[in-house]
Amino acid sequence: MTDTQTGAVPEGEPVTTQLVPPELPGIDKRDAPSAPGKRQSGSEGRVLNVFSHAFLVVWGLLVTLPVLWAIMTSLKTDSEILKSPWALPDELKWNNWSRAWQDANMGDYFMNSVIVVGGSLVGTMLLGAMAAYVIARFEFPGNRFIYYLFISGMSFPIILALVPLFFVMDNMGLLNTYHGLILVYIGYSLPFTVFFLTSFFRTLPTSVAEAAILDGASHTRTFFQVMLPMAKPGLISVGIFNFLGQWNQYLLPTVLNTGEGKQVLPQGLVELAATQGYDGDWSGLFAGLVLATLPVLAVYIVFQRQVQAGLTAGALK
Amino acid sequence: MDQTISPLLGSSGTFLPVKGPLTMATVTFDQATRVYPGSERPAVDKLELDIADGEFLVLVGPSGCGKSTSLRMLAGLEDVNEGAIRIGERDVTHLPPKDRDIAMVFQNYALYPHMTVADNMGFALKIAGVPKATIRQKVEDAAKILDLTEYLGRKPKALSGGQRQRVAMGRAIVREPQVFLMDEPLSNLDAKLRVSTRTQIASLQRRLGITTVYVTHDQVEALTMGDRVAVLKGGLLQQVDSPRNMYDRPANVFVAGFIGSPAMNLVEVPIVDGGVKFGNSVVPVNRDAIAEAANKGDTTVTVGIRPEHFDLVNGETKSLSKDDKAGLAVTVNVVEELGADGYVYGTAHVGGQDKDLVVRVNGREVPMKGETLHVVPRAGETHVFSTSTGERLTD
Repeated sequence: MTDTQTGAVPEGEPVTTQLVPPELPGIDKRDAPSAPGKRQSGSEGRVLNVFSHAFLVVWGLLVTLPVLWAIMTSLKTDSEILKSPWALPDELKWNNWSRAWQDANMGDYFMNSVIVVGGSLVGTMLLGAMAAYVIARFEFPGNRFIYYLFISGMSFPIILALVPLFFVMDNMGLLNTYHGLILVYIGYSLPFTVFFLTSFFRTLPTSVAEAAILDGASHTRTFFQVMLPMAKPGLISVGIFNFLGQWNQYLLPTVLNTGEGKQVLPQGLVELAATQGYDGDWSGLFAGLVLATLPVLAVYIVFQRQVQAGLTAGALK
Repeated sequence: MDQTISPLLGSSGTFLPVKGPLTMATVTFDQATRVYPGSERPAVDKLELDIADGEFLVLVGPSGCGKSTSLRMLAGLEDVNEGAIRIGERDVTHLPPKDRDIAMVFQNYALYPHMTVADNMGFALKIAGVPKATIRQKVEDAAKILDLTEYLGRKPKALSGGQRQRVAMGRAIVREPQVFLMDEPLSNLDAKLRVSTRTQIASLQRRLGITTVYVTHDQVEALTMGDRVAVLKGGLLQQVDSPRNMYDRPANVFVAGFIGSPAMNLVEVPIVDGGVKFGNSVVPVNRDAIAEAANKGDTTVTVGIRPEHFDLVNGETKSLSKDDKAGLAVTVNVVEELGADGYVYGTAHVGGQDKDLVVRVNGREVPMKGETLHVVPRAGETHVFSTSTGERLTD
C-alpha cells in the first residue's frame, strides 16, 4: 500500500485526494481486529450469563422440587404414594396432617422443640451478644484469651464431648429436662455467635456509644438501647443460623433427652420413620416432615432481607 | 462586636465576662497530660489553658497534634495521666462523662440511627428522668432554633448531611450544658454548606452564651469562629490568642506558617548592619531582635512575610548596589487568579539558595508566567524569628 502511494506522489497528482483513500483502509484495518474482539468478549459474557443462569435454575429446581414433592406427597394416600409417586394426588388428604399431628404425637414433639429452641435461642442471643459486645469494645487483660477460648470452642467436635457431657448432665440431674437441653444448646451455639457478633460489633461506630455515654447512659442502657438496636442485622443473621442449627439438632437430644414425652421434633421424625418397619404410614411421615419444615421456611421468608443485610453489613462502611 | 470582650491579660490570660450567667462555666486545663498506652511521647503534653465563661475557644492544628485528644480528655472519654481539668470550680479530672455537664458534637454526628430526630435530641433528658412534656417542649424549642421542626419524626438516615449536623447540634443544645464540645462538626459538609453553617454555629453560640471548645484542622474556621484560638503541634500548645493577634503576632515559626492562607513566606536571611539583607535591599528590623539573635550566636534570622505584605518595586527605592534593581527578584512560576487578587508563586534567590515565595498582587495587574518581579517587604509587617529556636524575636 505505502509503495503504491509513494509511487503516485511524484506524478504530480493532488496530494490530498491521494492521501485520503489509503488512509481509509488503514482505519478499517485498525478497526477490523478490534470489532470482532469486542463482539467476542460480548458473546463470552453472554455465554457465561447463560451458563450461570442455567446453573442457578438447576440449583433452584434441586432445592425446591423435593420440598414441593414432599408437600404433594404429604397430601396423598399411602397407595397413591407407592403406586404413582410422581402423580398429583386425586384429592387433598388433609387428614394426613391431623393424623401426624395427633396420633404420631408430632404435636407434642413440636411443642417440645418450640420450648427448647425458644429458650435456648433467647439465651444464646442474649449471652452471645453481651459477651461479644464486651470483647469487641472493652480493653481489659485477658480480652484476647477469652475471645480465643470461644474460637477454640468452635473447632471442638461436639461428638468427642458427648460421653463426658452425658455424665456431667447425669450428675447434675439435668438429663431429660428442658432446661438441661437448653443449657447444652446455649453452650453449643455460643462460640459461633460470639465469633460472629464480635466482628459485627467492631464495625459499629465507636462515637455512637460515646455519644450515649455523654448523654448519661449507663453501660447497660448503652448496650440495650443503643448498640443492640444498631446490631439488628447481625443479630438476625446469627439468630436464624442458630435457630436452624438448634431446630434440626438430632445428636444432642438423642443422647441427653431420651425421656418419654420430652422428645423434640427430629427425634419424633426418626421415631416415625423407625416404626414404619412393616406397616408403613408413609403419608403420615411426609406430613410430619412438612410440619417440621414449615417453621424454618417461615423464618427464612420473613427475615430474608435482614439476612442479606446482615451478611453484607460492614462491607460498605 | 467581639472586640469589646478582648482585654487580654496575656497569652493564657482570662477575659472579663461580657454577661454573667449564674454558674461560671470556665474551663481550665492545668498541666493536663495524656500518654497513650504503649507510647513514649505524650499525645497531649502539659496542656495549660484557661477558657473563660461563655468563650468560644478553637483548638487548631495539623492532624495528630493532640487537639481531639484534648477535647476528649475534657469530655471524659480519654484518661488524664497527669495534671487536672476543671470546669468552673469543680475538678472533673476523674469524673465520668455524664457528671461533667457537657455536651459533645461528633465529627460523624454519632446520631442514634434507630431513633427519630426527636428521640435523638431528647435521649439525654429521658435518661435524666425529665418529665415527657418538658422533654417535648425543649426538643421543640431547639428544633425551632435549628429549623428542624418538620423533621422531628424522621430517622437520621432520611436526612441530608446538613440536617444531620443540625440534629447533632440540637442534641447538645437541648441539654443546656455548661460546656459545648465540638469535634470537627463541619468536616463532613460540602464547602458551601460549611461556610454558612460556620456562621450559624458561631452566632448560635453567642446567643446561647455557653462556653464552647471547638476542634478543627481548618485555620480559616479557627480564625472566623473563635473568640480565641489555640494552636497545638505534637501535643504541645504553641500559642493561645485572639484571631487578630494570632495573625499579627505569631509566637513562633510553626504558628506563622500555619495561620494564614496562603501560608506566610519564611526566609532565612543573614543579619547585616541595621537590619537584615533581603535580596538587594536592607530591611530594617528591631535592634533588640537582632541583638537577641546575635546573643544566641545566630548569624541569620528567619524572616516571615505574608503574601499580602510584599510591595512591588521596580527599581524606585534605593538599592545596595547601583547596578541591580532594588528589592528581591522573584521569577514567576504559577499565577493563581482569584478575581479580586492574584497569588504569584515564584522562585527567588535568597541567602545563597533558591526559595519559593508567594506574593499577592492586584487582581487587575497580574504578571505573566516567566516574568520577574521585584518585591520588598512592607515596613512594619515583617516577622522575625530566631533561626535556631523558631521563637519570635520582634514584638
